[in-house]
Amino acid sequence: ENLPFFITCLVVLKIIKHYQEEGQGSEVVQGVLLGLVVEDRLEITNCFPFPQHTEDDVDFDEVQYQMEMMRSLRHVNIDHLHVGWYQSTYYGSFVSRALLDSQFSYQHAIEESVVLIYDPIKTAQGSLCLKAYRLTPKLMEICKEKDFSPEALKKACIGYEHMLEEVPIVIKNSHLINVLLLDLQEKSTVADKPELLNLSSSNHLEKSLQLLMDRVDGMSQEIVKYNTYCRNLTKQQQQKQQYLQRRQQENTQRQSRGEPPLPEEDINKMFKPPQAPPRMDTLLIAGQVNNYCQNIKAFTSQNLGKLFMAEALQGHSS
Amino acid sequence: MSRFFATGSDSESEESSSADEITPKATGTTFNKQFEELTNIIKTIRNAMKIRDMSKCLEEFEQLYRAFLKSKTIVDKEGVPQFYIRLLADLEDYLNQLWEDKEGKKKMNKNNAKALSTLRQKIRKYNKDFETEISSYKENPEQSAEEEEKDDIGSASSSKSDDDEGVTASKFLKGAESESEGDEESEDWGSDSVDSGGESEDNEGEAASLAVVFLKKYVAQDGDKQPERKKDDRRKRHKKMEQVDEEADEEGEGEEGGWEKVKGGVPLVKEKPKMFAKGTEINNAVVIKKLNEILQARGKKGTDRSAQIELLHALAGISNENNLGEGILVKIKFNIIASLYDYNTNLAAFMKAEMWKKCLECIDELLDILFENSNMFIGENIAEDSENLAISDQPFRVRGCILTLVERMDEEFTKIMQNTDPHSQEYVDNLKDEGRVCGIIDRLLQYLESKGSTEEVCRVYLRRIMHTYYKFDYKAHRRSLGLQGETKSEQDQEESEGEDSAIIMDRLCKFIYAKDRTDRIRTCAILCHIYHHALHSRWYQARDLMLMSHLQDNIQHADPPVQILYNRTMVQLGICAFRRGMIKDAHNALLDIQSSGRAKELLGQGLLMRNMQERNAEQEKIEKRRQVPFHMHINLELLECVYLVSAMLLEIPYMAAHEFDARRRMISKQFHHQLRVGERQPLLGPPESMREHVVAASKAMKMGDWKTCHSFIINEKMNSKVWDLFPEAQRVREMLVRKIQEESLRTYLFTYSSVYDSISMETLSEMFELELPTVHSIISKMIINEELMASLDQPTQTVVMHRTEPTSLQNMTLQLAEKLGGLVENNERVFDLKQGVYGGYFNRGTRTRPRNLIKDHFQIKINCIINVVFS
Repeated sequence: ENLPFFITCLVVLKIIKHYQEEGQGSEVVQGVLLGLVVEDRLEITNCFPFPQHTEDDVDFDEVQYQMEMMRSLRHVNIDHLHVGWYQSTYYGSFVSRALLDSQFSYQHAIEESVVLIYDPIKTAQGSLCLKAYRLTPKLMEICKEKDFSPEALKKACIGYEHMLEEVPIVIKNSHLINVLLLDLQEKSTVADKPELLNLSSSNHLEKSLQLLMDRVDGMSQEIVKYNTYCRNLTKQQQQKQQYLQRRQQENTQRQSRGEPPLPEEDINKMFKPPQAPPRMDTLLIAGQVNNYCQNIKAFTSQNLGKLFMAEALQGHSS
Repeated sequence: MSRFFATGSDSESEESSSADEITPKATGTTFNKQFEELTNIIKTIRNAMKIRDMSKCLEEFEQLYRAFLKSKTIVDKEGVPQFYIRLLADLEDYLNQLWEDKEGKKKMNKNNAKALSTLRQKIRKYNKDFETEISSYKENPEQSAEEEEKDDIGSASSSKSDDDEGVTASKFLKGAESESEGDEESEDWGSDSVDSGGESEDNEGEAASLAVVFLKKYVAQDGDKQPERKKDDRRKRHKKMEQVDEEADEEGEGEEGGWEKVKGGVPLVKEKPKMFAKGTEINNAVVIKKLNEILQARGKKGTDRSAQIELLHALAGISNENNLGEGILVKIKFNIIASLYDYNTNLAAFMKAEMWKKCLECIDELLDILFENSNMFIGENIAEDSENLAISDQPFRVRGCILTLVERMDEEFTKIMQNTDPHSQEYVDNLKDEGRVCGIIDRLLQYLESKGSTEEVCRVYLRRIMHTYYKFDYKAHRRSLGLQGETKSEQDQEESEGEDSAIIMDRLCKFIYAKDRTDRIRTCAILCHIYHHALHSRWYQARDLMLMSHLQDNIQHADPPVQILYNRTMVQLGICAFRRGMIKDAHNALLDIQSSGRAKELLGQGLLMRNMQERNAEQEKIEKRRQVPFHMHINLELLECVYLVSAMLLEIPYMAAHEFDARRRMISKQFHHQLRVGERQPLLGPPESMREHVVAASKAMKMGDWKTCHSFIINEKMNSKVWDLFPEAQRVREMLVRKIQEESLRTYLFTYSSVYDSISMETLSEMFELELPTVHSIISKMIINEELMASLDQPTQTVVMHRTEPTSLQNMTLQLAEKLGGLVENNERVFDLKQGVYGGYFNRGTRTRPRNLIKDHFQIKINCIINVVFS
């Protein structure tokens, strides 16, 4: 079902350039993807960044800017269908409420919209890391309802694994570009890339662990919240039950005495159920934790590979 | 009622109080109180007028105004009192007169002149409200006074019945009774003077003398007051005598005759008071009678207390002259001391130093007598009628408790010290009397050891202990240093003959431990004993005693003074531990006191300002009474310094050792607070206060720089502020240097071990100027305690680091694992709730097995992650 979509190398380079120029550290850059839909298949052909602006710039109107930009691009004959957006990530942290909300609004408007997540750190280490995500139809349903109560999520049967679906990407270039690339490959001297075998990974791991820990803490808090809610709920249920029983007894007594029974409507007013904590955050955190874990796993397995390799080489040389 | 308005406050209150005895009337008392207040204020105003103290006048006038408003309800009912009007009129006249007197005004100082003008304006405005009354008074001042006089005679009964109108029917009967009684009385006193001629003459004389004083005071205003006052006085006197008579009747018919004679023979009071008529045979019975007579007046309102004391003294003189024997003398002495104590009616107020000294002398004399007469028995339990005061073959028996008197004397001494400014010469002078107090207690102790019961001995021992425990025994100290005292003067040598205070303390306390049956005395004795041990650096004895007493468990049930004593003891214990170099013990002992931040309050050395709102005046008074006199204070700066330095010596190495530990706990919050305060300083100058010194030293120690640390802790400033306060200052300083060296070495190793592969012990010993064996032992200890991952290489004398401390990444992984554990547990709880299984996580049955598997699975996963990270 998830057909891969095409993306031109222009878009990739532009995103990388955008981060290189404006992003730094944990700051996130964002931009708009433009393209067109050809027979159910999405093609992303161009993009432009959101300008960075500070809080003080109250006059700045983002929507206005986008419309302006798109109009201008149309003048130079560029595809102007707004098919999604891109965002950089810091050590793989991107699953958040903000992303969910904006992706929902995109997907709500154009079903094929995607979000491209670009990981500059991994890319800097030598492997381009660009991933496209879409919200699953289930999640779309829930977001449409705007009901994040525990029951609703339970009914929808949604777990953190089913929130986002990754869409495969194919980078497709025009033949001219391919020719150029081949030409360049010929010309370039053999790039020595010692980083590939670099083992000084503790910094990366430390950062990831820190972020992971932070999220685990968040998760703990959410669980505690939920826990108290559950306890309150059961307590109230018990009270309600007791009250009902008492009322029933009273009513039977009254009946035997020939008096009219007491009404029972006020029960819900008396026992207002406690406010259930929204569970969406928990899900998001779980998704994020999962993400970190995948990252760490991938990273460590890679490093282990390198270690074994180094060991083998050493044994061979000695 | 207007009768009362005119009279002075004294007779009025006397009257009402005697009426109160018969039928208590609430309105009557408030009424009297308020008017008494008014008359008192008026009196002060008149005095101030006399000395032209305008500011005082103004102040008092404002007070009067307020007081008048307060009694408004009564005024509404009864009309404006005459004396009030009189004052207003007089004051206005007086002010106008002053105002006119331009030259006098010029002479006035600024404040007074200002007050004069304000007061003048005020009174002008105020008097408008009373215009008619004032003018009527001015027209005919005589008449208005006379009116009162007439009222006075007529209204006694009527006013009574007036008052009783509001009383309910049941009370009415009583009221009626009292009325008739009152009537009787009021009829009585007219003819009374005839009845018991001599006696009332005496009273008359006294009253007249009073009236003279009175006249002097009021001579400008009212001559009319004199007879009125006299009458009242006579009347009250009469009543008193009636009571005396009654009691005398009860006591014995046979002496009645003698009694009459005595009464008859006291004609003149203006001269030196004579007790007995000339020629009266003075014997025991007579003197006792007289004594009783004097004592009857005790505790009554309006009794001149100083006169009473004098009378008693005179009586003592007479009995001495006539050789009536020591029994009676002792009895009188007892009463003199008691009435000296009575002189201040308010328990909270302290005695005047002179009074107290008199009392001291009296007690001394009393003790002299007691020592001279071994066949005398005194005690509280001897009943009044079984006393034997006459000289006879039988031993004297006198009722009275010398111990109580001495105790009271001691308490008064404490009170005097509490209320004297500790920085004045007066305080020093007063403190010199402490020796006399101790002397008296010592003498009493000797006396009671031979005569008293165990309980009494315990009590007097405790007194002795209380005067000993806080004093440092320099003699013993010098002696222990090798008899340096021998070169001193003879007097010193004589002094050093006495027993060591330690031995005395030991003897007294042990007696109390064995014999005391009241818990309080024993507790106090133990605490004092510990304090004394601690003060003299006998740490182990002090500590063992503290631990054996188990006081720490139940001290919170004790009363506040004992708690204060406990706090003082704990603090002293901590300081002692510090002197002996037991830093950890010192810190633990001081932690409670210092962490509260209320050390001053807890030690009873002053009240904290911030509590002012929380407590009312009453509580404050009580708290003030608990304060420890200044000469017993523990230096708070010393205390804090000792605490902070011990905290530094403990905390800095600990911090260095657990730099990455997430679960690191603070040892001392206060110390951290000081560090943070130091860090917050925008500009760090050289340290000024003691705290800043400690903070600066801590920073140096963090870097392992012991020399800087040392120079911050021990320098001239700190010496004069803190260290020189110790009796063995030099030894303490040496100990401190050593500790700083050792702890700096430890800190250095913790902080920089990751930099070294190996380090030679010789270098370390040079760096920290410690002997090689010491360095060796410190490092060995660290290795044994697994604080330092290293081994010692014996041949080369080097420490070889193992580098097995977890890296930061590994630390983090461990933290993560812990957090995940917590997460799982929380999750389990949710699950429990869903399943309806209550109870702990671990005591679940077989039913929950699958979940345990889940958990295990999870655990395995965590372990995997950790393994990967560690590899």
